[in-house]
Amino acid sequence: MSGTGAPQADAAISSSADRMVGMEHAEVRYFTSYDHHGIHEEMLKDDVRTRSYRDSIYQNRHIFKDKVVLDVGCGTGILSMFAARAGAKHVIGVDMSSIIEKAKEIVAVNGLSDKITLLQGKMEEVNLPFPKVDIIISEWMGYFLLYESMLDTVLYARDTYLVEGGKIFPDKATMYVAAIEDGEYKDDKIGFWDNVYGFDYSPMKQTALTEPLVDTVEMKALVTDPCPIITFDLNTVTAADLAFRVPYNLTAKRSDFIHAMISWFDIEFSACHKPIYFSTGPHAKYTHWKQTVFYLKDVLTIEEGEQVSGWIDNRPNDKNKRDLDIDLSYKFEINDPTRFAEGSCSYRMC
Amino acid sequence: MASSNPAAVAPVDDVHADSRSVSDESDSSNEEGWEDVEADDETQPVVDLFSDEVFPDARSMLKACKEKHQFDLLKIQKDLGLDFIDTIKLVNYVRTQVKAGNKTPDVDSKSKFDDDVYLKPVMEDDALLYSLDDITEEQGEEAATGSEAERRVLELQEDLERLQTQFSEYRLAVQQSMEDQMSKEDDKLDSKASKASGATKAQEIDEDYFASYAYNGIHESMLKDAIRTDAYRDFVYENKNLFKDKVVLDVGCGTGILSMFCAKAGAKKVISVDNSNIIDRAKEIVFDNEFGDVITLVRGKIEEVTLPVDKVDIIISEWMGYALLFECMFDSVIYARDRYLAPDGLMVPSHATLRIAPYADPDFMASHISFWEDVYGFKMTSMLLKIYDEALVRNIPSSTIVADSTVFLPLPLHTITVEELTFLKEFQVTLNQDIDALDGWAIWFDIFFMPSRDSPIPENAVPADMQKKGFVGFTTGPYGTETHWQQTIALIDHGSHKPKALKKGQVISGKIGYQKRDQEGSRGLNINIDWQGGDNTKGSQKWSLQ
Repeated sequence: MSGTGAPQADAAISSSADRMVGMEHAEVRYFTSYDHHGIHEEMLKDDVRTRSYRDSIYQNRHIFKDKVVLDVGCGTGILSMFAARAGAKHVIGVDMSSIIEKAKEIVAVNGLSDKITLLQGKMEEVNLPFPKVDIIISEWMGYFLLYESMLDTVLYARDTYLVEGGKIFPDKATMYVAAIEDGEYKDDKIGFWDNVYGFDYSPMKQTALTEPLVDTVEMKALVTDPCPIITFDLNTVTAADLAFRVPYNLTAKRSDFIHAMISWFDIEFSACHKPIYFSTGPHAKYTHWKQTVFYLKDVLTIEEGEQVSGWIDNRPNDKNKRDLDIDLSYKFEINDPTRFAEGSCSYRMC
Repeated sequence: MASSNPAAVAPVDDVHADSRSVSDESDSSNEEGWEDVEADDETQPVVDLFSDEVFPDARSMLKACKEKHQFDLLKIQKDLGLDFIDTIKLVNYVRTQVKAGNKTPDVDSKSKFDDDVYLKPVMEDDALLYSLDDITEEQGEEAATGSEAERRVLELQEDLERLQTQFSEYRLAVQQSMEDQMSKEDDKLDSKASKASGATKAQEIDEDYFASYAYNGIHESMLKDAIRTDAYRDFVYENKNLFKDKVVLDVGCGTGILSMFCAKAGAKKVISVDNSNIIDRAKEIVFDNEFGDVITLVRGKIEEVTLPVDKVDIIISEWMGYALLFECMFDSVIYARDRYLAPDGLMVPSHATLRIAPYADPDFMASHISFWEDVYGFKMTSMLLKIYDEALVRNIPSSTIVADSTVFLPLPLHTITVEELTFLKEFQVTLNQDIDALDGWAIWFDIFFMPSRDSPIPENAVPADMQKKGFVGFTTGPYGTETHWQQTIALIDHGSHKPKALKKGQVISGKIGYQKRDQEGSRGLNINIDWQGGDNTKGSQKWSLQ
């Protein structure tokens, strides 16, 4: 059977559910519209995500009271309704996707039509009923934080519509890396291609190695402590900052092999009276973002207390801005030449 | 580590073995990898840069160049700071110049030959290109001395790693342009791929590579669907007599796994057609597994490509979609059969049956349907509207099937026509338990591989029974191991069909229809079902798969 392409529209702004559809590449071909709905269901049922937004809004009614709120990529409208229930004067929800038709029905059924205006279109093109907004809420995060993320659209909305001193929910995102032992699964994912029903499938293996894997990593797989690599403050960050090259340094907390690096992010609502956080790391409760796994060509043999360091370089692909080119270099600098390792791998999230 | 690469292409993997051993030079004799290197150190004859003279290896050839033509490749490489790719360009540039009659090519600066044109080998199977990394390495080894050795070793390791990467890229480029030339000859209709000049090939490969990323997962999940892949393998390997010396057509070959099964089973020739980018990977895979002389890969639609033969003895294809016919790929298989299959030829698989059964799953309805009634304090039931318009694809527990399933369409692959794929068929089922509500209909298919076009399958055949009789087959139903096809579920809209309790023994009869929706390139499918069971249940609903 031959595959079909990912059904990814050229959407400058779409609910994260739509972005997720584009990502589940193993299943893309098989997605029916219901599963499309299923994605919204999965996200709403992602309790860590939805509850964090709800709490950050409901516990800060004094901040939302009588304010004009913009919900960037509103999807089914859940965040807009939270804000309306929290006493906002008016909420504007914007989304590229046709899901907004559903959102309109949902908002009406819940008696909030007079409080919430839903607009379908690109942020850059829609006409808002208010020239300025007091608060921007958005669930813009993608896999690896930035893949197919709407952050640039949120920044456009901030620069265009947010009043001086306005608030953004959430407003801080921090990315982390750590190294993991993952021999069995690496063998299953990468080694699989060495022998497929008795045949050598190594051409597929090269592709598999350059493809970061979005998956759940168990806490016990972590060989090193995590290292924060970059924090985005949404009040000040610019679109150009989303391409970055940053160093990392990881210290092994036990002696083990390292097969892969993983990355995840934490989100903070610091504009709240009492700040609210959630983490998508392996130590925290499951979220639909899971973690992103980068398999290394080498296997490192590290001993407790030793360090591996390197750089992570992330930038949008030149040709397809929605894809990410990620380079990961590593240097395991020790005096034992049999274990010394240094290298760099290139990945593409697409 | 793979070791079956044909020598002609390049001992990339041997280089890899090298890189491991280098760090252990001191006690190299014990190193496993080292033995490999010695064993594989069969140098290939290299053609002189300036004449047709053939040298036993690249070193002696370069030495001669230095003496006779004052052309010192290694010095130029060093002076101009050339990396691996640059050096390849240099070699091809020199060969081009010499071919054009200029025996003293200008190599004063890199800019003379810094053009991707020179990535294309001037000479087929130019052993010099394959030896470049070895030469660089030897040179490095000579330079290493005494206490510096260890540091040097690490540097070399790095170098090699880099070269390996570059080399595999280059290898791909070479392979690709060779393939392209071959397919240009084979396939006169194929225009797009061969129009592109060799110069930009490397870039294109890169792009293709990335473009195909998303598909890796799909092919992985299909290959790892052991129910599917095992069945094809078992049939082919257990019936080698059928394949021996036969001409086989693989329609929609994907990564080429079925083609390789057939080649391994002794097929004389396998022609494999696919219209997806994956065929580029399939070409490499077939090449790596040394089936290049048996398997011919053709990119394009089966309706449009020109095959190198007029008739084939066997058509093998894995064409099945959700609910069997989603994607309409079967139409192409029928086209291929009518156009290419010899009158006594065999279809693999040979039969399919479509089954339906009533479905009741209060838990599913509660968790997925009732969920929308209260989402964090909001009513979101409008999200449900579409649920009943779309058929779901998922694995359901067999406990949700509340009657014996029944075949509503048998598909004998040797004779069925495209017209028969749009149909309205009657069915009847008898509930085997009491249920609170009929929640929907479950649809799945079974596949059979009969060894002769004259062997029929029994009317109510199930794969498990056929397996006992020694035939190959598999089910995608809820009673078998899960497959990537799962089952197709058509949920009944309880809004318009009030749920009613039904008793064991209740007979429900109905009609099920399939219609293709192939407008606007959509390869979707519409399914409609009418049903009636006594006074208690009656309904009619349409679903789409898209």
